[in-house]
Amino acid sequence: MIAIQVILVAGFTFLFWRFLSNPGSHQVHAWIKIFTFLFTVLAIIAVIFPNTSNRLAEAVGVTTGASLLLYALTLAFIFVVINIYSRGKEDERRRALIVRRIALLEAQLRNKKKS
Amino acid sequence: MYGLYFHEETKIDTAVIIPVYNEASVIGPVIKKVKKHFATVICVNDGSRDGSSAQIVKAGGILIEHAINLGAGAATQTGVDYALLDPKIRYFITIDADGQHEIEDAVGMIKFLKKKDLDIVLGSRFLSQPENIPAPKRLLLKLAAIFSKGMSGVQLSDPHVGLRVFNRRFAKNLNLTMPGFAHASELVHRIGEGDFKFAEYPIQVIYNDYTRGKGQSMLNAVNISVDLFHHRISKK
Repeated sequence: MIAIQVILVAGFTFLFWRFLSNPGSHQVHAWIKIFTFLFTVLAIIAVIFPNTSNRLAEAVGVTTGASLLLYALTLAFIFVVINIYSRGKEDERRRALIVRRIALLEAQLRNKKKS
Repeated sequence: MYGLYFHEETKIDTAVIIPVYNEASVIGPVIKKVKKHFATVICVNDGSRDGSSAQIVKAGGILIEHAINLGAGAATQTGVDYALLDPKIRYFITIDADGQHEIEDAVGMIKFLKKKDLDIVLGSRFLSQPENIPAPKRLLLKLAAIFSKGMSGVQLSDPHVGLRVFNRRFAKNLNLTMPGFAHASELVHRIGEGDFKFAEYPIQVIYNDYTRGKGQSMLNAVNISVDLFHHRISKK
């Protein structure tokens, strides 16, 4: 149990770090698609063979499939929140660039007219 | 005679940059005071909705307008960028719009910067009148100083001060990208990065009900810290 926890925490910390440090890159977008695809496949398997999630949970040292699902959902949620925050910051930066550029052009134009 | 000439020189080669956000009631007198010493007063109206623009024009400031509020960092950077367009400008002063700084301090700082051949001089409330700073604010500023030292390696007693004087070399390297008040830490970081010659200078800060109401809260310090942390690990 402890071993799998360490592996999961370390793995996800690394992934979050990568996503957070480079939110707009192609790599991140590709990984998001891969994860979404894997989640979909796992969801379909879990629906068709309800016991798989339990067996998978037992294999990694978690008691029930429902708990495993909760862990996965929690991690996915944290990942989404961090990703939204990063994107928000990036948008904010770009918006600031545009607003500042317009402000400078406007001021130059106004002062040219004056002089 | 020389003294007069020096004063005139100061007037034309220096730009005063004032980020303005909803300061219509106080900005006019602040600009007028600054104009007694410096001809170029660039006011960046950072999306105010209270008629600050009209007051700026009325008082004779150069008006630059952000269409939306971006925070003091972006406003400062816009003002510096505008000033850099004029090759005659060799010195830059940033000052708060709420009238908490004395422009005479800035005059002293410019002289100090020239005399010591520094790149930037930062005002410090702690070198002059720490007892006048309200106690919670003092604690917050002390924490900011420790945080700032940890992030940038630059030792300052008052890194979040709004009154600063710097030369063209520093202005060209400024490039503030952080929103809001995190820009103060970013500016200090620039000093460390670029190996600029810096010093602090004791300044007076006027605390009244108006300036107190405008101050930074403890909770906003949390925002600033998270923004800085995110900025530091982000690759641009």
